Amino acid sequence: MTSIGTGYDLSNSVFSPDGRNFQVEYAVKAVENGGTAVGIRCKDGVVLAVEKIITSKLLKPGANKRIATVDRHVGIVSAGLVPDGRHFVSRARDEASSWRGVYKGPIPTSALANRLGGYVQAYTLYSSVRPFGTTAIVAGWDSEAELAVDGQVGTGPSSGSGGKVEGAKGGGPGLYMIEPSGLYWVSSTSASASSPIYHPNPTILPGGYYGAATGKGRQAAKAELEKLDLSSGNLSLADGVKEAARIIYVAHEDSKDKEFELEMSWISSVDGPTKGRHEEVPKELREEAEKAAKRALEGEDEEEEEKMEE
Amino acid sequence: MASLLDHSAGGQTVGYSFSQSAAAPVKQHGFYPYTDNGGSTLGITGSDFAILAGDTRSTSGYNINSRMVPKVFKIGGDEETGEGAHIILSVVGFAADGNALKERLDSVVKMYKYQHGKSMSVSACAQRLSTILYGKRFFPYYVTAILAGLDEEGKGALYSYDPVGSYEREQCRAAGAAASLIMPFLDNQVNFKNQYIPGSGEGHALQAKKAEPLPRDHVQELVRDAFTSAVERHIEVGDHLQMLIATRDGIEEVFHPLKKD
Amino acid sequence: MNHFPEAWGRPRDDVYGAYDHSYLQTTGPKAHTSSPAVTGTSVLGVKFNGGVVLATDNLASYGSLARFTDVKRLRVFGSNAIVGFGGDVSDMQYIDRLLESIDIRENYSHHGNMLNAKNLHTYLSKVFYKRRSEFNPLWNHILVAGYDGEGEPFLSSADLLGTTFSAPHLATGFGAHLAVPILRRLFPEEMPLEEVSKEAAIEALKQCLKVLYYRDARSMDKYSIAVITKEGIDIKENEVIEGTELGFC
Repeated sequence: MTSIGTGYDLSNSVFSPDGRNFQVEYAVKAVENGGTAVGIRCKDGVVLAVEKIITSKLLKPGANKRIATVDRHVGIVSAGLVPDGRHFVSRARDEASSWRGVYKGPIPTSALANRLGGYVQAYTLYSSVRPFGTTAIVAGWDSEAELAVDGQVGTGPSSGSGGKVEGAKGGGPGLYMIEPSGLYWVSSTSASASSPIYHPNPTILPGGYYGAATGKGRQAAKAELEKLDLSSGNLSLADGVKEAARIIYVAHEDSKDKEFELEMSWISSVDGPTKGRHEEVPKELREEAEKAAKRALEGEDEEEEEKMEE
Repeated sequence: MASLLDHSAGGQTVGYSFSQSAAAPVKQHGFYPYTDNGGSTLGITGSDFAILAGDTRSTSGYNINSRMVPKVFKIGGDEETGEGAHIILSVVGFAADGNALKERLDSVVKMYKYQHGKSMSVSACAQRLSTILYGKRFFPYYVTAILAGLDEEGKGALYSYDPVGSYEREQCRAAGAAASLIMPFLDNQVNFKNQYIPGSGEGHALQAKKAEPLPRDHVQELVRDAFTSAVERHIEVGDHLQMLIATRDGIEEVFHPLKKD
Repeated sequence: MNHFPEAWGRPRDDVYGAYDHSYLQTTGPKAHTSSPAVTGTSVLGVKFNGGVVLATDNLASYGSLARFTDVKRLRVFGSNAIVGFGGDVSDMQYIDRLLESIDIRENYSHHGNMLNAKNLHTYLSKVFYKRRSEFNPLWNHILVAGYDGEGEPFLSSADLLGTTFSAPHLATGFGAHLAVPILRRLFPEEMPLEEVSKEAAIEALKQCLKVLYYRDARSMDKYSIAVITKEGIDIKENEVIEGTELGFC
């Protein structure tokens, strides 16, 4: 915090002489106060989890969901200012709907991330607005099945011109994170994020992050995510659910005094448990994952204690 | 040579399909937005009640769409049960317009109660219905409506309409496909037209029988007779007879079978 | 006959008459669809004890041409309603996209898509009525099948004018003439629904489809049939009418 103030932090559209936009940096501070949110990209699906700090005992448990569905195949969770997050989701839904209006099919997750990145970035440009006080994790599964065009009535030719290619597969999991500056990362393999054109190379899967974390406990969460060796693509969705729950519990260690609820959602492949749709993780499964997470934490404590004794 | 070049002989010019010929007649809409769903309705009032009745057949051409599509509705009551309503409306003609009209009047009557804290009088509702109909004077609701209830004195009130909102209060009215069959019967049996007091005089001195409000069970019998007769002579009328009776205790609903042929 | 290039490739005026420019004009009232183009024929539906069955053939005709022969005219909405479409196929596709967007939007709420077949029918009939009132009709006659708010089997019809009606068995188009009398004989309206079995309802529709295949020139022998029960929707889209006797022609 060398150059606080001096007038350059008052307006959005003004850089400081050393090339910083203070409004954006303050927005990041808002994110750093929010409950931890993580996303894990597994080989057969994506998981989202969020630590929902209970701000009042008068709130109904399980109500006020923080993970939202966009179209059918995308989930969004954000850390930071909750109303900003809701507006962000609302925009995402409009984008997904408008994509369907033009292309008669679901929006690829990468294209959605691209449009949302552009939207968020625009809020850093004008003095009349403030940036989003949220970092959003966008998770989706682009269907690997042959997708019908919305309203399609026939099955199309089975061979010849316009016919089907045996074994051709596209789609896969996508995980993106959009920060208050509008920054997001897309892996270089999905070359044109906004192009709906079918990618002929089936080995290239939609990209972004292997694992993403934001909010108060992001450092601890990132450290845990890195241990999972996600880039090897071996983690299954079922294990991903357990890891996500555990990571939220680990990240919560620093703010142990506050109670929290764990909210989790997932998107599997077309032949997985959610059939390519974004859904809440079933209650039984989540509770099982939570139990395992608590056990793992207790185990760690004991280990530490043992070390101390040594 | 001149004749070879004279390709427009016969008054026809060769043109691209998109070049606008001045002679092109104005294309009329090929879409006719109305249809006739048949059926008949009738309403009669008494000293302390009003009855609206209609058959429940819905037709298109010679087809019977359904044998149970009611034409008489409670207005301003509960969405599902109609409870709390005190006004009844019958619509016959184009059923889709009839439904739209019913729903509009229903919401108007409800809004009236929400805003003024009291129920709309039948006379006010009658005037409002006229305004709604006239509001679509140049694209009318293709229906003949009859509105009924009890007036401020508790007497049976009945208003009949044409499709563009002209209306009057009457003792009785028949509308729809079999109106021309039922109305003369009503003239004679309700308003006692062509009925004279026997022995009251000769020629012009013969006194006409004065119309008086009829008792409810008698009116219900008249309605049933009117419809059983109409069913015999009109193919678009039949299946079931629905009667709504507005009294000081609320609205009663009665169904009777009619011939299904 | 003339030899000017602008006349090449056009129907001869002396044979076919001059081109009717009224079809392509830029002045006058705005012209919307005034007749359907690619069309589907009848839709059939019967209620039975505990559910509804709906059937259509898989043909989309272009006038008298059997243009598309694998067209799915039964559309699933959410998890418990089906719409069967007759009439213009492009308008059907428009409505299908509309329903898709509604389903997505409804699923944004915490309790998911709660709209039942009755709600859907009310909605669609209002869409039809609005469009006919704008002189821009959606040229369809549809049947909506599923359950009402009380969980009772629901079957109702709506058409391009916004006309609606409901009955234990319904058919659109040619089926209104040929199938309805058969269905009314098999399942009289006064017969309680409890006495109509699922198997009997399916068998009756197959029989009606066969009669329509024999006598409706815009029909075909490949068909779709959807059975909706409390267990869910069972839809088959590649069925063939069996036991037809057309070998002589």
